[in-house]
Amino acid sequence: MTVLSESASEYLLAFADDEHLMGQRYTEWIGVAPFLEEDLALASIGQDELGHALMLYTIVAGGDDATIDQLALLRDVDDYRSSWLVEANLPSWEHALIRHWLYDAAEELRWELVDESTVPGLADVAERAAQEELYHRRHADALVDALLGIPESAERLQTALTEVLPLALGLFEAVDGEADAVTEGVAKAPFHSQRAVWETRVVQRFTRVDPGQCTAPDQDRRRRRSSDFAPLIARMREVYDLDPSAVW
Amino acid sequence: MRTYEVFLKPDGRDGFRHVGSIEAANDELALVMARENYVRRAEGSLLWLVDRTQIVIGDEDFLAPNADKPHRHNDGRMVADRRRRLREDRE
Repeated sequence: MTVLSESASEYLLAFADDEHLMGQRYTEWIGVAPFLEEDLALASIGQDELGHALMLYTIVAGGDDATIDQLALLRDVDDYRSSWLVEANLPSWEHALIRHWLYDAAEELRWELVDESTVPGLADVAERAAQEELYHRRHADALVDALLGIPESAERLQTALTEVLPLALGLFEAVDGEADAVTEGVAKAPFHSQRAVWETRVVQRFTRVDPGQCTAPDQDRRRRRSSDFAPLIARMREVYDLDPSAVW
Repeated sequence: MRTYEVFLKPDGRDGFRHVGSIEAANDELALVMARENYVRRAEGSLLWLVDRTQIVIGDEDFLAPNADKPHRHNDGRMVADRRRRLREDRE
């Protein structure tokens, strides 16, 4: 297994952390989504995202199981590189749907940046993920499309969008290693370079919105966690913490 | 909401079979929901959704008279008997 440079690891960890927490956020709708079919669809999407996270952590960990656990669950809070969008404890279903739409629209563009990566195995992961993202995008868009046609639903989505969009802009904030990772061929370009395409799609979809007028939170190059992070990671570690030596 | 009947075709030579139904607001939502609710473990390689209102139904009253026509269940025995009799008459 090739040893990754520090910048490559940092870049991939940010991606993996976003996927990991987003996957967790989707799974939280199991049993409480607005209708049964949606319950299952969201669980499936969450499972896909957790799978993407695992594949990315595996690359960073060089395939070592203990290191994968360490990266996914046991790092110090300050060592995570997740964006505030995926950390956020959102108050309602419409907020979750808006995050789903915004996140997966960005994720699709993010995989495109690594589909010819010099990191062994990463291009294959990107190809698989891109296929799965087609469904995620279609699922989010079908729901948004139907709900925007109903006045009360459209208003609720609009309110949620106003609140979630600034957080979503934080997705594009680079980690320290990103520039070097691009130079090394880990990615074709910084994630930020896809932001204009993403914003165009957001405006086409939601029309009454201007991402240029929003301000992303200051995540300090993704080194600062939001207040929602600590309770979230504690819940994710709950079973692990019962007995760290357990063999699964 | 509309109700759709769900049909799946497995890989290979088997045809479509009815596997259930799903409620959805429109065709696209029906498709994205049916995929994860009926085909999440690759139960089929093709999916048909049929809006229930579009189904042409032949009901029991319409079909019942055909249940009492044994002469249409030709197993060839009467013809075989007749041929055998004719052959025996010739001999």
